[in-house]
Amino acid sequence: MQINFGGREVALKLVYYGPALSGKTTNLRSLHQLTSEASRGRLMTLETKDDRTLFFDMLPLMLRAEADRGSSPGMTLRIKIFTVPGQVLHATTRRLVLQGADGVAFIADSQISETEHNAASFLDLRQNLKDLGLNPRELPLVIQFNKRDLDRVRSDEEISALAGKGREPVFKASAVSGHGVLETFFGLLHLTWAKLDGEHQLAKMMGLDSTALLPMAARQMGLTGDVTTLLAACVGGRLNRKPEDPK
Amino acid sequence: MSLDIPSVSAEDLVLDGRIRLEDLVDREGLDELCKSFLALFGIPVRIYSSDGALLADAAGEQELCAYVNTTPGGRNACATTVGGVKVREPGEAGDVLHPCFTGAAYRILALEYDGRRIGRLIVGPFLPANVAEAPASLLGIDPGIAKDRAQKLLERMPRAKAETVTRIAGHLKASLDLILFSGHKALVTSKMHLASVTESYRQLEDKTSRLQEAFDRLKELDRLKSNFLATVSHELRTPLTSIIGYSEMLSEGLAGEMKPEQADFVKTIHQNGQHLLALIMGLLDLSKLESGTMRLKMRPMSIVPVLEDVVATLTPTARKKGVRLELDVAPDVGQMRGDPERLRQVFLNLTENAIKFTPAAGSITLRARTMREQYVSGDDEDGLALLAPTRARLQVRVVDTGIGIPSRERDKVFDPFYQVDSSSTREYGGTGLGLSIVKRLVEAHGGSIDIEDNEPTGTAFVVSLPQGEPGTAEPSASS
Repeated sequence: MQINFGGREVALKLVYYGPALSGKTTNLRSLHQLTSEASRGRLMTLETKDDRTLFFDMLPLMLRAEADRGSSPGMTLRIKIFTVPGQVLHATTRRLVLQGADGVAFIADSQISETEHNAASFLDLRQNLKDLGLNPRELPLVIQFNKRDLDRVRSDEEISALAGKGREPVFKASAVSGHGVLETFFGLLHLTWAKLDGEHQLAKMMGLDSTALLPMAARQMGLTGDVTTLLAACVGGRLNRKPEDPK
Repeated sequence: MSLDIPSVSAEDLVLDGRIRLEDLVDREGLDELCKSFLALFGIPVRIYSSDGALLADAAGEQELCAYVNTTPGGRNACATTVGGVKVREPGEAGDVLHPCFTGAAYRILALEYDGRRIGRLIVGPFLPANVAEAPASLLGIDPGIAKDRAQKLLERMPRAKAETVTRIAGHLKASLDLILFSGHKALVTSKMHLASVTESYRQLEDKTSRLQEAFDRLKELDRLKSNFLATVSHELRTPLTSIIGYSEMLSEGLAGEMKPEQADFVKTIHQNGQHLLALIMGLLDLSKLESGTMRLKMRPMSIVPVLEDVVATLTPTARKKGVRLELDVAPDVGQMRGDPERLRQVFLNLTENAIKFTPAAGSITLRARTMREQYVSGDDEDGLALLAPTRARLQVRVVDTGIGIPSRERDKVFDPFYQVDSSSTREYGGTGLGLSIVKRLVEAHGGSIDIEDNEPTGTAFVVSLPQGEPGTAEPSASS
């Protein structure tokens, strides 16, 4: 996170991590399509010829917190969402992109055949976080089981059972059709915001109520639905983990 | 050695610092873009960076402006207007109309990228569609302004409706945005490349220093091992000398007659003592060779007496086994530089080995030749084509008709303590040190040793030794 007091800006970095071809870029594309033009910049994709992400994608979002109460002049929240290259080959790039991340969405492939790739990629994430001096237990992290629309995927019951045992909030998605994409993003934003607000009193600084950020973000992104409905899509884990909770 | 690499952190990618218009676009290209707009719509366009520098200018003076500037009052008023336009900020909405006293106007628009203002776009002067006649502000600016002329020139000004200007400006901003995005993308890519390369370099440097440490540690261990071997062998020799000496005295009857059985036992003690001594001497030689402390007494010599001596020494052993031992020296074998004592050790060892592994009725031949115009080692030496013909090498082949050595084992037989088949140790004896010492001695002479097949059966050990370099060659008058 970077705070620019002069420019009244807060910049967050969110990273979409996961094995190769699990749909990280597709998540960003869908998010890009689902949000209003005013709140987002161009989706920057550095891609190779064979249609996979060589380096990374980046989607910038800009949310302006209007000064609707008090004397605060308002503030801009900039969120940059990055994807990492999933291919084992690009380990260095992955670690570089992960540097300074405020929150991570792990995009897993629901297909049963991909189970091991998911696990390997998660171990890779954990190792990279450790190498970067970040504590994986303290980093806001949500898990998305993507590609729900395919055959031979892990069943809903299995996912719910797995999610119920884990700490990380789990979302189901089919990023190609946009299903579950906003849910995952807001789940991650919720966790990240809770942690950073707890540490830096961001809401106060932005002249906001702690609980007002997500609805504000949703409004600015042009969403009509209710944020609580989005967050309710979470099938397990601890979404409302208190930031000061040491566990 | 370390390269000076600017540290690039991927954190830079989050905020990208401040994106500056002038960093992302090519000035000449920007100028061309503005000129093409001028050509297309006839309206002048200028682009300023956020700190007020003029980046592109496609203006060309309007006739009316030129005319106004011929009068002192007009010149003043024009300078004021242009100065005002230059510094006018486009306000909250990012779009403002700045009027000119001539009736014309400028549109000043904010250029934004990634939600931040990075410059201004100035469109104009143009004549708004609703201005039909030269206004009083123009006619009254200086007494020298003639109404007819002013009116005529005013009509030649590019005329545009507000929405047309909005459309033109919107189009220009969109084009510019695309250019900025491409530039930004290239910037991010190269930053990432740089960060990636820096990281790889750091990892490599890390690995190299770890390898270097490991290598230094191994070298030190190796030195310690050689020292240890040398010390231990030396210390072991002292008590062994007593064992051998006293057992010898006993068997010679210096301490009184012994029963045949006692004499047998003492003989065994003596033989095994000798064997142990040979083993220790071998270890000592090996450790000296490995630690580089063995000194060769190099001097001009001939290999012929050395080989003759070897054959003479081993003929009884060979005869006992029923093996024929022959020496075959070509007449051109001449003088060379070497340590005769060590070379004797080499050929004694090779020949002993050959006898050991050759069954009865077999034969062993020591064949010495001078090889010219053939340089085996050091292929990439400078001037090889010129130097090689001046060199001669002595080749001694120790050929037997024994059990042979499988080709896959040939590299290993020179390793200390290696025997092709551990059962051969029991059958043939030996310490397994001989060949490793032989190889090191030959190499210490600047030579090489190889193993070849001897058809139809057996082995040929081929020792190749330098026989004089240009200038150092001994006169080969003899032989």
